[in-house]
Amino acid sequence: MMNNLFSIFDPSTNIFNLPLNWISTFIGLMFIPYSFWFIPNRHFMLWNFISNKLHNEFKTLLGPNSTSGSTFIFISLFFFIFFNNFLGLFPYIFTSTSHLNISLSLSLTLWLSFMLYGWINNTQHMFIHMIPQGTPMVLMPFMVLIETISNIIRPGTLAVRLTANMIAGHLLITLLSSTGINMPNYLLIILIFIQILLLILESAVSIIQAYVITILSTLYSSETN
Amino acid sequence: MFSRLALRSVAARQSTPTALVARGSATEVSGLRDEKNFPRPVRGEPGKVRLGFIPEEWFQFFHAKTGVTGPYTFGVGLATYLFSKEIYVMEHEYYTGLSIFVMIYYASTKFGPKLAEFLDKEVDNVETNWNAGRLSTIKSLEDSIAGEKEAQWRAQGQELLIEAKKENVLLQLEAAYRERALTAYQEVKRRLDFQLEKTLLERRIAQKNMVDWIVANVTKAITPDQEKQAMDRCIADLAALAKN
Repeated sequence: MMNNLFSIFDPSTNIFNLPLNWISTFIGLMFIPYSFWFIPNRHFMLWNFISNKLHNEFKTLLGPNSTSGSTFIFISLFFFIFFNNFLGLFPYIFTSTSHLNISLSLSLTLWLSFMLYGWINNTQHMFIHMIPQGTPMVLMPFMVLIETISNIIRPGTLAVRLTANMIAGHLLITLLSSTGINMPNYLLIILIFIQILLLILESAVSIIQAYVITILSTLYSSETN
Repeated sequence: MFSRLALRSVAARQSTPTALVARGSATEVSGLRDEKNFPRPVRGEPGKVRLGFIPEEWFQFFHAKTGVTGPYTFGVGLATYLFSKEIYVMEHEYYTGLSIFVMIYYASTKFGPKLAEFLDKEVDNVETNWNAGRLSTIKSLEDSIAGEKEAQWRAQGQELLIEAKKENVLLQLEAAYRERALTAYQEVKRRLDFQLEKTLLERRIAQKNMVDWIVANVTKAITPDQEKQAMDRCIADLAALAKN
């Protein structure tokens, strides 16, 4: 039962105050295909198809000097976030990526590790890349300041972008469907239709958000060279 | 759930060639495995489902007691019970779920078959690629076997040729022999003819000589008495003939 509109985002399924709804984070694991037989089945082919497309995208972004296999973490990140986003649309499934603790732990960990590696190992390279080529000398101090600030807030933006999109989308759907409780039947059709549109939007958003976060993480990692 | 609904409810199938490749490669030959007690696992079809996610076995379970419509009635009745007693409260999640159900049903009927076809084509590609090396080797070996057979056939043809040539030579020899036999016969005949001619000629000459000698001697031996007697006889014969 909803106390307020935001209570769908409260971790509330619990046994002895142990919140169980975080288990929905692992539902995505059930969608990873089995490869028991030599010839792949359709599910496996679909998975491979998407993974290969992503791999090619990320490899281009990471540049020719990247280690082989460095795209794996980003592909897994994509699938993790996509499944959590998309499955949260289904009824009674908790959207774990709508909480900052999940998003922030992903983005902060990645960003911090990239940055520390870059600052410790390629210090000069990192400082040089703060300023784009061909800026006039007058603007230099401001550029450095601005680039530093934008770099520092990157984990925050990554996390909050994901969380905010998820909260906004799911909230809208919940709001719309909660008016359906006290609605006459002939208006329900319109409601269902509008909800379908919203859900299509939300499915697209879930894919896009996963993609965006992954691409940005790739870019940040490639900055450290 | 996505995979089962979207991919299986629209004419799901495991392609039968899959099973062939999985099992039909040259693995029967090795004999290292105890096939009777530890049979190789066979790739089966996915379980049959109705309405996309309910297994067939549950319908069969009900069939004995309630017939064909039993499980459906059971489902509808259960749902009605849950809704009417407010055991399942139709709150905001329910309407979301309804919208999602409509969306997924529409997507699976509209895009499901095309996606399934595309994926099946990809799977078939993978399978053909794996089989391609083996099949091309088999084909090249078969081609070389055919080539070998043809070479053997040609060799036999060579034998025939040699036979024909031998016959040819024999014919020629026969002809030459006949020719020489004819020549020999003709030569012998010539010589015999010569001998014959010579003998005939000698006899003729001898005869001629003898006739001449006899005539000469007779002419010499005719006396005038005999001549006169011969003349008188002739005249008497003529007078007798003239009277007749």
